[in-house]
Amino acid sequence: MEPSILAAAEINVEEIMAAIRKRIQDKKDSGLLKQSEIDEIAEMELQPLPDFLEIPSIYEPVLYPGFAENMAPPAPLEEAIRETGPAKGLLKKIRSLLFPLIRFMTRPLYVELKTGILDLQKKVQIVLPIVLQSSEYIRLLHNAMHNLIVEASKLKTEEELLKTKIRILEDKMEFLENRERALEKKLPS
Amino acid sequence: MKVHQFLTSYSYGDAIGNEALEIRDYLRANGIESEIFTLHYHPRYARQVRNYLEYDRFSDPGNTVIFHFSIGSPVTKKFLRLADRKIIIYHNITPYHFFLDFHRILAKDCFKGRIELKSLADKVDLALGDSEYNRSELVAAGFPRTGVLPLVMDFAKFDLPVLPVFKEIFADGKSNILFVGRIIPNKKVEDVIKAFHLYQRHFNPDSRLFLIGEYRGFERYFSALQSLIGKLQVKNIHFSGHVPLAEMVSYAKLSQLYLHLSEHEGFCAPIVESFHLGIPVVAYDAGAVAETMNGGGVLLREKNFFQIAALCHEILTRPELQAVLLAGQRQALEKYRQQRTGTILLEYLRGLRP
Repeated sequence: MEPSILAAAEINVEEIMAAIRKRIQDKKDSGLLKQSEIDEIAEMELQPLPDFLEIPSIYEPVLYPGFAENMAPPAPLEEAIRETGPAKGLLKKIRSLLFPLIRFMTRPLYVELKTGILDLQKKVQIVLPIVLQSSEYIRLLHNAMHNLIVEASKLKTEEELLKTKIRILEDKMEFLENRERALEKKLPS
Repeated sequence: MKVHQFLTSYSYGDAIGNEALEIRDYLRANGIESEIFTLHYHPRYARQVRNYLEYDRFSDPGNTVIFHFSIGSPVTKKFLRLADRKIIIYHNITPYHFFLDFHRILAKDCFKGRIELKSLADKVDLALGDSEYNRSELVAAGFPRTGVLPLVMDFAKFDLPVLPVFKEIFADGKSNILFVGRIIPNKKVEDVIKAFHLYQRHFNPDSRLFLIGEYRGFERYFSALQSLIGKLQVKNIHFSGHVPLAEMVSYAKLSQLYLHLSEHEGFCAPIVESFHLGIPVVAYDAGAVAETMNGGGVLLREKNFFQIAALCHEILTRPELQAVLLAGQRQALEKYRQQRTGTILLEYLRGLRP
């Protein structure tokens, strides 16, 4: 196994390593050092403040992919069930055969259902713009909330950076004060 | 012969800028016309440099342009389009992943830089690295003609006394551990703090850590370091910010050990400077660090923080070990003392196509 440190030939690396290992073992035996402490420090990672230049101010494409395309109003029922082509003749023949049955048994049900659906469609026509408008409001609200969170986080980051700058200035002040005291000592009284 | 230099940025106290200035002065002293062209520059140097876009007026196929390459920028495109003879001096590009959490723009520029480096491979007459490690990266990038141009090491400028004020403030019997370098993520300042925390807690509560280097532009990294210091409750950590040379030398001369745990270095001038200033060096083997140390100091193969703390304690408490280490460092330093960067550069220039 390669040694974990390298030095000039005049230096006894093995002896240094043995001394280091002994020190580590002594610390561990005395209970002053735990392997978990070493591991914890080694694994400690820096936690950088987020970079908000990377975050888009509008996140609609992320939250609502294909929203605009999917929000087209549904086709009217009448058009959806319109019979066309060769199927029309065939259906007519079948209907004529089953007419008595349809007339007395299923026809009222069909008429009732159709009326209900048409009523519902009329209501949908009234409600749909309101729903669309509400969904638009919700979308805008989400964007506004997102932007508020982003802005609040930006402010927090700014605050952290300003705190760092204050800390730097405090350190510099302290250093300058020490310097001032040292200079004063050097001045002839 | 005219030899001009291109730089992306010329900032105050910057090693690349200093080297460009030294090269310019050396060339001028040898009767070679030389100017520095750059994209960004510190206002202090406004009279010493020109905007790189002005170079069209100077361009000539008979000229040689040296491009100090260290990051992706529009200067590369301009350099590529020149008809002049081209040399790059590669100062290495920090892998972009170090900056992802702290500086996305720089991460992007570093990423672009590596791509631009490959695009330069077949378009330059000569590619020089300032260490063998950097030269090997040039070879890997496909440059056919490569060489090493050592950094200009002017040790005489470090022969300054400790400022009396610093002596008054910091020569208080505490053991001072030093780190010099920009406070940026690839330097792994957090690891220095962790090792120092264990040293202070388990071996010597009467100790202090000097972190000497610029942190402006990396406030988010600096803030994260401050949080770590708060969490570990480490005391006596002194961030100096950017300091003049006289103060840097004072910090160094008041320190008993230099600890460097960076994970990427294309060279590492502070290690060599510590050798010169007679401070025992403990450094982690990453990038060109082993090559820079040249067999001096103690090189760490792994980052076991408690082991590092114990090693620091061994060095700081055993004068005989310190003496052997310093002797080894002095021996390693000879290589740098004998280097004649200017002469080597002139030889490279003479060997270019006519």
